[in-house]
Amino acid sequence: MLVSERLRELGLNAENHTGDPLSLLERWGADENVIVVDAIMTGAAAGTVRVWDRQLPHVSGGLAVSSHGFDIGKGIDLAQALNRLPARLRVYGIEGRQFERGASISPEVERAIESVVRQILGVGMGKEGVIK
Amino acid sequence: MTGASRTIRVNTLARVEGEGSLYIKLVGERVADVKLKIYEPPRMFEAFLRGRHFLEAPDITARTCGICPIAYQMSAVHAIERALGIQIDPAVRLLRRLFYCGEWIESHTLHVYMLHAPDFLGYADVIGMARDHREVVEKALRLKKIGNRIVQLLGGREIHPISAAVGGFYKVPTKSQLRELAPDLEWALAASRETVQWTSTLEFPNFEQDYEFVALRHPTEYPFNEGRLVSSRGLDIDAAEYEDDFLESHVKHSNALHSVLRGRGSYLVGPMARFNLNFDKLPAVAQEAATQVGLRPPVKNPFRSIVVRAVELVFACAEALRVIQEYEAPSAACTEAPNRAGAGQAITEAPRGILYHRYTLDENGLILTAKIVPPTSQNQKRIEDDLREYASQLIAWPLDEATWKCEQAIRNYDPCISCATHFLKLRVERDEQP
Repeated sequence: MLVSERLRELGLNAENHTGDPLSLLERWGADENVIVVDAIMTGAAAGTVRVWDRQLPHVSGGLAVSSHGFDIGKGIDLAQALNRLPARLRVYGIEGRQFERGASISPEVERAIESVVRQILGVGMGKEGVIK
Repeated sequence: MTGASRTIRVNTLARVEGEGSLYIKLVGERVADVKLKIYEPPRMFEAFLRGRHFLEAPDITARTCGICPIAYQMSAVHAIERALGIQIDPAVRLLRRLFYCGEWIESHTLHVYMLHAPDFLGYADVIGMARDHREVVEKALRLKKIGNRIVQLLGGREIHPISAAVGGFYKVPTKSQLRELAPDLEWALAASRETVQWTSTLEFPNFEQDYEFVALRHPTEYPFNEGRLVSSRGLDIDAAEYEDDFLESHVKHSNALHSVLRGRGSYLVGPMARFNLNFDKLPAVAQEAATQVGLRPPVKNPFRSIVVRAVELVFACAEALRVIQEYEAPSAACTEAPNRAGAGQAITEAPRGILYHRYTLDENGLILTAKIVPPTSQNQKRIEDDLREYASQLIAWPLDEATWKCEQAIRNYDPCISCATHFLKLRVERDEQP
């Protein structure tokens, strides 16, 4: 949400999404360039940014708390099975530290948000991996 | 087979909402033990509500579930309106029915196509199914999107809607905004009828149980928000009497309370109960869709609940179209709800069954106590009873196939574990310092 706010401030077409991967999938067109940004919790240091292109790693039990086991990874898999995957799809995951309601954003995550915004502005669709 | 012991164990149930596991112990040809273990942590919603103003209850309780937030909002607003003694505008009442239609379309589509159908067709999940049945899954996505549109229009957003209020809505749509939904809903009605046909062709295990079905019953309507609570064995009560007849108890293996009918035991809520107790209140188009595939009450095979859900999809689409046709915007979106001490109860029909709320308020409108009994708590003991019977039919099956079948039997109920673990029973033991 914070990334999309920053992007909108900079004049880009960015929207917040409720988190239902099935309705996310309905918005994707085959010839579109789609970037998804979400918080992740993998145990890495707060503020670590992970980047995946067109596919997410399969994690036992799913990547995230989700509705009936549907997370963004399965949404992408389903899009692929239906030939609905956008031509260019990149997923940025920002490692969070504090997920409690009302918790403030840690400085590491704030720096990561700015890093992801810069990445998106540059749209350097290079190899997937971890941004330091 | 003599006294050999085998165990069916599913450590993490798939394609259900929330976290649970299954344990079945078979000794020889006998099912020795069945435990539907719900280990998702308690979520304490009833405690969150205490001390908050009643106006906050619809938004707080909606957070219980991402799949059925409207059910939580509707049970909350009706119970609080009863406590306050206020009446809502008839147009608001119509909108609330439409709101519920949206949720049923979303939830039933998700369950029928994405969660339950893969069991019958032999796929591990809908992703595998989509590779071979692309058109079916595309249809499901379009149907679900139409439910999402209704929820977004009335609730302000698709997930955890924010417009429902005690007394009405914070904002109501215009007649023309509702009319814009009609073409999509006409398509959805036809697609739902096809869904009934399609689900009826699936292969169902030969398994019937003698259930006590429990659902709302309204004099003129298929139930959503109003009606008396009735059962197939003669129960006929007002929501205010619910706690006289139903008892929640804690079992060691579950973080969700088990609900039973006092002196009678488990019972079944949800689509099969509604269908069996209210078939005569379905619109003609839904009755026809059911009878054309040989589905008539009483349906006692829980695996056929997928067809019943499809019939309820037909109902939800037809009802949404009726509301859109009849709707005239109310003079005010919301009836004033002044602070007042009181107590109120309400039961509404969430997609997966009845949802009971009770609130007591003080003279400043603050919530003194709240009680919520979600449908999955009510079905949990019934699921275990089903498994006890069904597993005995699977004794001779290979363990992996028997395990799959037992998981499917749980998914018959479309359980929502996250909803069911909303409670907290806290016992503090303290040693006094000398």
